[in-house]
Amino acid sequence: MPATHSTLQLQHGDTVFSLAASPDFAQDGICFAACASGLYRSQDGGRSWESISFSAEHHGQMAATALAVSPDYAQDRSLFIAVKGGVLRSSDGGDTWFTARFPAPPPLFSALAVSPSFEYDGVLLAGTMEDGVFASSDRGTHWQPWNFGLFDLNVLCIALSPNLQQDETVLAGAETGLYRSANGGRAWRATAFPTDKAPVLCLAFVNEGAAGKTRILAGAENHGLWVSGDEGESWTRLAPAIIPESVNDIQIIRKPDGSRHLFALVNDGLLTSADGGQTWTRLMQTGDAPTALLAAADGSIFVGLLGKGIMRLPAPSSAPGRSRYV
Amino acid sequence: MSEKTPFQSPKTYKPGLVFQPSAHQHIQRGINTLVAAIRPTLGPTARTVAITRLSNDQKPPEVLDSGGIIARRVIELSRRDEDMGAMLARALICRQHERIGDGTATAAVLFQAVYNGGLRYLASGGNAMRLRFHLQAALSRILGLLDEMTFPVEGKEKLAQVAETICHDPPMAKLLGEIFDIIGAYGQLDIRKDHRRELRREYIEGMFWNNSGLFSRAMIMNRAELQTVYEEPAILIADFKINDPRHIMPVLEIAVETKIKKLILVAGDLSPDALAGLLLANGKLKNFHVMAVKGPGLNPDDRMTAIEDLAVLTGGIPMLKAAGHSLKDVTHQRFGWARRGWASPHSFGIVGGKGDPRRLRRHVSQLQARFQHSDDPKQREKIIQRIGKLMGGSATLWVGGISELEIERRKELAQRTADAMRAAVKDGALPGGGMAYLACRPALERGRRESADPDERAACHILYQALAEPARAIFENAGYDPSEIMAKLMTRDDLYGFDAVSGQMTDMKQIADSASMQKMALRNAVLTAGMALTLDVLVHHRTPEIARQPG
Repeated sequence: MPATHSTLQLQHGDTVFSLAASPDFAQDGICFAACASGLYRSQDGGRSWESISFSAEHHGQMAATALAVSPDYAQDRSLFIAVKGGVLRSSDGGDTWFTARFPAPPPLFSALAVSPSFEYDGVLLAGTMEDGVFASSDRGTHWQPWNFGLFDLNVLCIALSPNLQQDETVLAGAETGLYRSANGGRAWRATAFPTDKAPVLCLAFVNEGAAGKTRILAGAENHGLWVSGDEGESWTRLAPAIIPESVNDIQIIRKPDGSRHLFALVNDGLLTSADGGQTWTRLMQTGDAPTALLAAADGSIFVGLLGKGIMRLPAPSSAPGRSRYV
Repeated sequence: MSEKTPFQSPKTYKPGLVFQPSAHQHIQRGINTLVAAIRPTLGPTARTVAITRLSNDQKPPEVLDSGGIIARRVIELSRRDEDMGAMLARALICRQHERIGDGTATAAVLFQAVYNGGLRYLASGGNAMRLRFHLQAALSRILGLLDEMTFPVEGKEKLAQVAETICHDPPMAKLLGEIFDIIGAYGQLDIRKDHRRELRREYIEGMFWNNSGLFSRAMIMNRAELQTVYEEPAILIADFKINDPRHIMPVLEIAVETKIKKLILVAGDLSPDALAGLLLANGKLKNFHVMAVKGPGLNPDDRMTAIEDLAVLTGGIPMLKAAGHSLKDVTHQRFGWARRGWASPHSFGIVGGKGDPRRLRRHVSQLQARFQHSDDPKQREKIIQRIGKLMGGSATLWVGGISELEIERRKELAQRTADAMRAAVKDGALPGGGMAYLACRPALERGRRESADPDERAACHILYQALAEPARAIFENAGYDPSEIMAKLMTRDDLYGFDAVSGQMTDMKQIADSASMQKMALRNAVLTAGMALTLDVLVHHRTPEIARQPG
C-alpha cells in the first residue's frame, strides 16, 4: 500500500529536473527544485515553494537543468544551478547570482556535483550533453573541460566519492557506458559496465561501514540497477525481478545509528532497501514518469515528476504512522 | 700543437676463421669492454661517459649517461673478434633502449654476468646447448616470480616516484607523474624544447594534427590568432585532389539543403580554381561558411590512418579515391559532425567529435591491441599518437634549461623517462634498485639444491650470481662497498633494500621501477647470453661491405 503523500504543482506542465536540500534540512527546512520553468526554493520543509529569479535578464524563466547545494550550506549558503550555456552560483541561498561563462557552442548541462570537502577544495564538476565534463576548482568561478579518456561526451550523471580527498574517485554515467576517474575527474577510463545496458542515468557510492569498502550503484535506462564492488571492474545486476526497468535516480539516507536506506526511483514509483540493495520494497506509486529524487537528511522524500510538479512524502518523525520505510 | 688524427674506419680485413678457445675469449673481451663503458651509468648516482664527436671535432665531447645512447655511439671495436662480442651486447642494449627506453645498463650487466658465468662453466666441461636450455627454463621461473611481485602504479605521487627512479630529476619527475596520471599508458605526450629555464606542461583539448591546415589564408576568420573556429561544423572527408570547381557544387547544394551552416572540407589537395569556388561560396551564400583543410599526414599511410580516425571520431563516411568516390556522390550521411572545429595555416583540430562512442571505444581497443603486438618502434610510436589523439586530448611537456646543450640533454632524458613511464603505467612496477631480482634468488638457490642435473644446477647458480649484479653495480656507482651491503641485505627476507641516494635501508616499493623494463632487461640478457654461449666458431669476411651484399 503506498504511503501518504502530497503533490505540489509548481507551474502548469512543469518538469522537475533536479532536487537538492540543505544538509541541515531537518533544522532549516531549505530545499530547491530545478525545473523547466526555473528554480524554486522552499524554506518550510517542502510545504510551499517560491520561484527564484536568477538575474534581471533571466527573471526565473530559463530552464534550470541541474542543481547542487554546498555540503557546507549552513555556513557558506552556496548553491549552483546549470542553465543552457552556463552555471550560475549564489552564495546567499539564491538571492543573488553570478554567471560563469563556457566556451561556445553553449553546453547543455545534465548534472552538477559538489565535492564533499567543498569548504577546502572548492571543487565542482558539471556533466553535459555533447561536451563531456567541466570542472571548477575555484567554487564555480572558472570552468574547464576535463574530458581526457572520456569517449562518450554525453554525460547524464556524475557521482563523487564520499572520500574524494583521499581516493579522488569520480564516476560519470554516459549514453554508452560508465567512466571512472581516479584523479578527481582530470582523466577518465571506461569501466566494464556493459555498453549494451547503457545509458547510465544515475550513480551512487555506498560505503560498507568501518571496513571502508565502497560499492558503486548504477541505474540504467531500461536495464535496472547494477552494483560493482571492485571499482567498476565487474558488474552484477541487483534484484532484476523487482527492478526490471529504468532507474532514474538513487539516493541514500544514512541514519545516526549507521544504518542506511537506499531509495531507487523507477519508472512508476519509489523503491527502498534497508540491506544495501539486496531486497527492495515499493514505497510509493508515482503513476507518472518520475524524474528526480531527494531523500533529505531528516527522512523526507521528494519526487520530481514529468510535467506535474513535486510529490512529497513527509519524514516519519513528523508524520506519525507513516514510518513504513524507516 | 699536436696534429689531430682523423677518425678512420678499417675498410678491409683478412678473411679468416677463429676457433675455440680463442673465439670465446675474444667474444668475452668484447662484451666486457662495451659493458664496462655502460656499467657506470646504472643507478640513481650514475656517472657519465664522454664520447668524441664523429661529425664535428671542434665541439666538446658528448657527455652521456644513457646506456642506450652510449651503445649506439660505439660503432665498432678495433679488434674484429672482440668487436663481434661487443656488437652482440650493443644489439641487446639498443633493443632495450628502443622498446622501453630504460634498463639498458641493467640489461648490459645482467648479460655480462650470465655470459661470464656460463663461460666458466663451459671451461670446466659443461655443455653449451644444455646450459642454454636450463637457463631459459630458469628464466621462465624468474619471470613468473617477477609477475607475482608486480604491483600497479596509480596516482600522480606514485607515478612521480617511478619517474624519479628513472630520470633522477625531481621537477621533471613531478610533472611526468602528473602527466601520466592524466594521459595513462596510451595518451599522447609531445616533448618539446622551450626557451625558458624551467619545465612546464600544457594540456590540449580535442584531436589535432600539426601537418595539416587551411589551404588558403583567405579562409582565416580570426586574424589576430591566425585561425578559424567553427561551432557545430559538418565535416566532409575526402582523400583526393579536388580539381574542378564544378565538383564542389553538389557538396554545397547538399550542405544548403540540409541547413548546414559551417562546413569543413578535408581534402587531399585543392586546385586554385576549386579554392576560388569555395571562397566565392563563402561570400555569396547567406548563413553558410566553408573552410578547406589539407588532409592530415605526410605520407599516404599516415593520411589514410588519419582519415580513418577522423571518420570514427566525427561519424563521417570518408570519400576515397581508391573506392572510386567523387564529390558527385555526396549524400548527407557522409558528413561527420563535431562541437567545434578549428584550423590555422599549419594545423587542424576537432573538439567533441560526434561519432558513435561505442565505435570509438572499439577502434581504440583495436589500436591498443595492435600496439601490444607490435615490435616495430616506429609503428608503436605512430599507434600511440593515434590513440592519444582519440583519447580526447594531449599533453605537451616543454623542456627548458640554461643552455642549448642542457635543454637537449633534458629533452632526451624526458623522452627516455616518458617511454619507461608508459611501460610502467601499462604493465605495473617492481621494487627498484635491483631488489626485485634479489628477491628471486632464493627460488634459484632452492632449484639448484633440488636438482640432480649438473647443467640445471649450473644454470641456477649462474643466474643466482647474475641477479645480484645490477644491485652491486648500483652500490658501486654510489661509492659503497657492494659486498658489505649485500651481506646486510642477506639478513633480510622482505623487500627492504639499500637506497643508494640516502644511504639508508628502505622499503624498495617506494623506489619502484617499471616492471616491463626489468622483465625485458632480464629476458633479453639471458636469451642473448644463452645464444652467445653456444657460439663456437667466428668467421670473418674480407670486408664488411662485401659481407652485407646479398648473393
